[in-house]
Amino acid sequence: MYQAIVFLPLLGFLIVGLFGNRLGARPSELITSGFMVVAAVLSWVAFFTVALGEHETVTVHVLRFLDLGALQADWTLRIDTLTAVMLIVVNTVSTLVHIYSIGYMHHDPHRPRFFAYLSLFTFAMLMLVTSDNLVQMFFGWEGVGLASYLLIGFWYHKPSANAAAMKAFIVNRVGDFGFLLGIFGVFVLFGTVDFNTIFANAPTYIPAEGAGEAGGAVLNFLGYQLDKQSALTVTCLLLFMGAMGKSAQVPLHTWLPDAMEGPTPVSALIHAATMVTAGVFMLARLSPLFEHSHTALTFVTFIGALTAIFAATVGLVQNDIKRVIAYSTCSQLGYMFVALGLGFYSAAIFHLFTHAFFKALLFLGSGSVIHAVSDEQDMRKMGGLRKLIPTTYWMMVIGTIALTGVGIPATIIGTAGFFSKDAIIEGAFVGHNAFAALAFTLLVIAAVFTSFYSWRLIFMTFHGKPRASHEVMHHVHESPPVMLVPLYILAVGALFAGVVFHDFFIGEVYNEFWKGALYTLPENEILEHFHHVPLLVKLAPFLAMLIGFFTAYHFYIRSPETPRRLAESQPGLYQFLLNKWYFDELYDFLFVRPAKRIGHFLWKTGDGRIIDGLGPDGLSARVQDITRSVVRLQTGYLYHYAFVMLIGVAALVTWMMVGNNF
Amino acid sequence: MLPTKGGEAHSGTVMLNGLPAVFFYLFAFVAIASAFMVIAARNPVHSVLFLILTFFNAAGLFLLTGAEFLAMILLVVYVGAVAVLFLFVVMMLDVDFAELKSGALQYAPIGALVGIILVGELIVVLGGYAFSPRLAATTGQPTPPLAERANTAALGDVLYTHYLFAFQLAGMVLLVAMIGAIVLTLRHKANVRRQDINQQVARVPETAIEIRKVRTGEGV
Amino acid sequence: MLPDLRSSIALASPELFLAIAAMVLLMIGVSVGRKATLLVTSLAIVALAVAAVWVAGFSHDGAAFGGMFVMDSFARFAKVLALAGSAATLLMGYNFIRAARFDTIEFPVLIVLCTLGMMVMISAGDMLALYMGLELQSLAIYVLAASNRDSLRSTEAGLKYFVLGALSSGMLLYGISLVYGYTGNTSFAAIAQALAADQRQLGLVFGLVFVLAGLAFKISAVPFHMWTPDVYEGAPTPVTAFMAAAPKMAAIALTVRVTMDAFEPIAADWRQIVIFISIASMALGSFAAIGQRNIKRLMAYSSIGHMGFVLVGLAANSQEGVRGVALYMLIYLVMTLGTFAFIMSMRRTTGHVENTDELSGLASTNPVMATVMTLLMFSLAGIPPLAGFWAKWYVFLAAINAQLYTLAVIGVLTSVVGAYYYLRVIKIMWFDEPVGGFLPMSGELRAVLGFSGAFILLYIVFGGPIGRVASAAAASFF
Repeated sequence: MYQAIVFLPLLGFLIVGLFGNRLGARPSELITSGFMVVAAVLSWVAFFTVALGEHETVTVHVLRFLDLGALQADWTLRIDTLTAVMLIVVNTVSTLVHIYSIGYMHHDPHRPRFFAYLSLFTFAMLMLVTSDNLVQMFFGWEGVGLASYLLIGFWYHKPSANAAAMKAFIVNRVGDFGFLLGIFGVFVLFGTVDFNTIFANAPTYIPAEGAGEAGGAVLNFLGYQLDKQSALTVTCLLLFMGAMGKSAQVPLHTWLPDAMEGPTPVSALIHAATMVTAGVFMLARLSPLFEHSHTALTFVTFIGALTAIFAATVGLVQNDIKRVIAYSTCSQLGYMFVALGLGFYSAAIFHLFTHAFFKALLFLGSGSVIHAVSDEQDMRKMGGLRKLIPTTYWMMVIGTIALTGVGIPATIIGTAGFFSKDAIIEGAFVGHNAFAALAFTLLVIAAVFTSFYSWRLIFMTFHGKPRASHEVMHHVHESPPVMLVPLYILAVGALFAGVVFHDFFIGEVYNEFWKGALYTLPENEILEHFHHVPLLVKLAPFLAMLIGFFTAYHFYIRSPETPRRLAESQPGLYQFLLNKWYFDELYDFLFVRPAKRIGHFLWKTGDGRIIDGLGPDGLSARVQDITRSVVRLQTGYLYHYAFVMLIGVAALVTWMMVGNNF
Repeated sequence: MLPTKGGEAHSGTVMLNGLPAVFFYLFAFVAIASAFMVIAARNPVHSVLFLILTFFNAAGLFLLTGAEFLAMILLVVYVGAVAVLFLFVVMMLDVDFAELKSGALQYAPIGALVGIILVGELIVVLGGYAFSPRLAATTGQPTPPLAERANTAALGDVLYTHYLFAFQLAGMVLLVAMIGAIVLTLRHKANVRRQDINQQVARVPETAIEIRKVRTGEGV
Repeated sequence: MLPDLRSSIALASPELFLAIAAMVLLMIGVSVGRKATLLVTSLAIVALAVAAVWVAGFSHDGAAFGGMFVMDSFARFAKVLALAGSAATLLMGYNFIRAARFDTIEFPVLIVLCTLGMMVMISAGDMLALYMGLELQSLAIYVLAASNRDSLRSTEAGLKYFVLGALSSGMLLYGISLVYGYTGNTSFAAIAQALAADQRQLGLVFGLVFVLAGLAFKISAVPFHMWTPDVYEGAPTPVTAFMAAAPKMAAIALTVRVTMDAFEPIAADWRQIVIFISIASMALGSFAAIGQRNIKRLMAYSSIGHMGFVLVGLAANSQEGVRGVALYMLIYLVMTLGTFAFIMSMRRTTGHVENTDELSGLASTNPVMATVMTLLMFSLAGIPPLAGFWAKWYVFLAAINAQLYTLAVIGVLTSVVGAYYYLRVIKIMWFDEPVGGFLPMSGELRAVLGFSGAFILLYIVFGGPIGRVASAAAASFF
């Protein structure tokens, strides 16, 4: 069963990837989607057996992957509760996206390729979440990176899509570099990459205080001799660097908004629900390591909070419907990292779980909108669509209330975000961490912003007067059922995932549910404490949501002039936000242009002038010169020839006389 | 400068004095001077004549060393046949040698330089030239004393015995030369009547002559 | 003397047979006339073959005619090669000269006489035999080069070769006379004896330089190579093929014999000269060929370069080096014959072509021919695992073992440069636009080309036995 879950997408990819053009578009869609449906159903079965059943961790050995001296890595599927949660997230969303794409990509001539890529991505993601060791995880990690590159650049004839694909790949390489170093570090410290062994040794790795042997240097990093505690911290931070790249955390977040150049289903699948959460999953999976490095966790909190507030502020002013959701994703990922940094792993995973539903819903809904308005993505050219595409409108509203966390505080009535996001904010309040207080403040403010930009999106798109051209408005139409049905399913998840599952993830049956898949130190009691926060704290996210909603309502329904006036009165701040805190410009100045200059220098001067000039080109030119002068000697005149012979003899004679008789 | 007498060869050098010395230097000087004139003369006919003079002086030098057979052969073959043939060729083929030489003259400085270097080295080498100390013992075919065996006879002694192989090969070389001359020059032209001795010999009166009765006053 | 004569004649019987055969063929030709060319050619090939079998299987070692004629395993090796090369060119050339209308009966006779000259050279044990063999061989080639009397270029080639050849003969004779003057002998053994007994004499070294200059002319080594491109280009192609193959091999064998037998005691001197000539030849052969468009001219420079590589083996002055020389000569002979078989097949309805551009796209118009030619070019360039690589390998190995590192390095570098023009030919055949194919190859050319291609391709398989034969041949001098 577990093999089927993982390998059915691969099978779909191979069949459609190799024979897709011969099979035709419709069979390709049916094959990949059919396999995905089966895989998704099996994932739910696995979830019920492993997470909700009595089974402990299930391992399925596939084959011996690497056997290089001390380095041994098997290809083994490791299914525990954490993996099972990821399996249902990945396979459910992927299946829905597959089906949705049948409608959304209907006009594209390269559908077999698209579906093959989607299945390839799903397989790589499944490899990542089922990995039993770091090497295998890295394989999946790179696999999703590749698939992401291919899918962002799916419309390769668009230069912006190509640039975005490359940007995503290159920025991810930066993170991957850290991830690789982290893997090396783990191997140095523990002598293995196998999770079971690492987790078994991690608790006893740091010597007890006063044991006296803590001073031994075990790792030399950048010239620093590190003892065990520091080495573990450095390793964790390096691993987190990989997570930052993949999960678009500041400062490696720049690729995610650009990645919206890809088809919208791709954004929903990869850049909202699954791949970008790989970093969250990785940290949760490695919780036994991170839990022993307080410093690393503090740093994670800081980065998460920073990203949450940063992305939220930028999201306030964006006009591209997909970019708003992309920054929202970035921001929500920040929430998850704050939870991770606080040691509140279960809340992070819970938010990951619920976020997958409502963010995929929002993306697919926005795809439906874009589909309706003839591929227009600028919200300034929409408006008034509510009557024309009511189903999509309501789906988007459901996604928004789930994202903003609508619910009645202190009860169990609420949408998915109400449970997961509020849990994180409450966790931040009680967290024991240098940045916990700061994180709490920032997260509450970010919640205001989240609510604001989410409703802003709804109001700008669906309310008010139509700003699109008459022709476009005339063509607006509701999406076909094949696109709407996935929305319905996701909407159900967005509404009820929180209320149904919050007890399992962060509530009463925590231990029975997780069965040790997430590790926490005994002194980590955040799970106990967050239930008992002051009422005001419980109310804070709710109030934030209300403030955001009413501000948006005021700005975009009651007095549409306000935003423009505000932007004009604060031009500096507006430009700062509109230009995304100038991160791209900064990177362009710091890295891209110097790199291009160095590359240009090495290409033109280094390679062209020096290596080619002195090497192949220069040599061949000299050879030609010599050839010309030698051939010129061959005049055809007899006496020239005789002359050369005589000179030769004279030279030889002279050499023999003089050269030997000094 | 072959060692002429076995006894003198032991010292490694041959001293010339008296009348032979006078003639040696005379022949030698004229030979060199006329050889130079062969290439220096403007008129090709003069060149050939200087060449003949060179041969004569060389023959004189041969005579001084007692090689009278070689001296005579040189005169008979080179002067009597080769040089005279040259003379005919030069006179008959009206080649403008001056024109041919004109191009070569611009290389004269370099040519002179190379020549001077070679000559200088030759002088250095030959100035210190010495025969192997054990030459008498190792010489392959030493010349017998003139008093015992005439030069011509001495040559005959070795030519058909010791040097049989080389002698026969020389014959083959001449054969090739002959074939070559024929291949390169003999042309069978259709409109040239050629003598066929077989045909001539095979002629009989019946085929050669025709008898006609000629009546007086009517003609053939 | 007479008992000696009997055994001498027995020892030199293949040569005698060839001499008589040449004269008999000449008589047949003269009495039958031009109609007999095919007959005389066939008989000449038979005679050469018989002589080859005779030399290979029924001759024994020894010296004849008072040491003028030496028979040993090296001579046997070289003679078989010379006879085979001559027979092959005769076979290849017949149709060509008939098409060009100078199919005289003298052509095969001259080739037989030339081969006789080569055999004398190879077996020379005396300066006189050396000179006689050389002249016999050269004179025949002068005539052959000019044998297409109606072609201005052929005549010019013959005349140029003749005049320069006379100059080189003069140098050779001058050198011989200096050597004789010092040692009092013309016999190689006696010269070596005299040299070994005394200290180095400058005048003798002078003579050595002139002798080597005369020999270097025959093997077209720089700076005595100037005739080669013009004569190769001007002479009729079968004659060029002949000149490039057997006589060159004989001249190399002669050079080896003179240096190894006569001048062994002053090896330090002649090795310097050989190294100089070798480097100059390799360099010039590699560089000058690049500019060539006429394939015969290209092969001329190629042959100059290859002679440089052969001399690398000689410069090593070791049994290994001589073995390298022997193998190189064998492989070079086969490669050259194959290449010229190809060149003679460059024939369209409009006649023969010699420009490399005419090979454009041959791979598509005549793939088999192009493939074999590609093999040959790769082999000439020295690409493993073809025979040409092993030829170079053995001489360079010998040079390395003789501590001649600089020479070996220069050799390798120049062979890299030289690879350029061989590869260019391949590039033209495979990657340029086709300009139309050639007429089908005649049977004998196909046979020679096929044999040559198979030899260089399969040399790696049967190189062992050949190497042992060459080793035994080289042992004659050590």
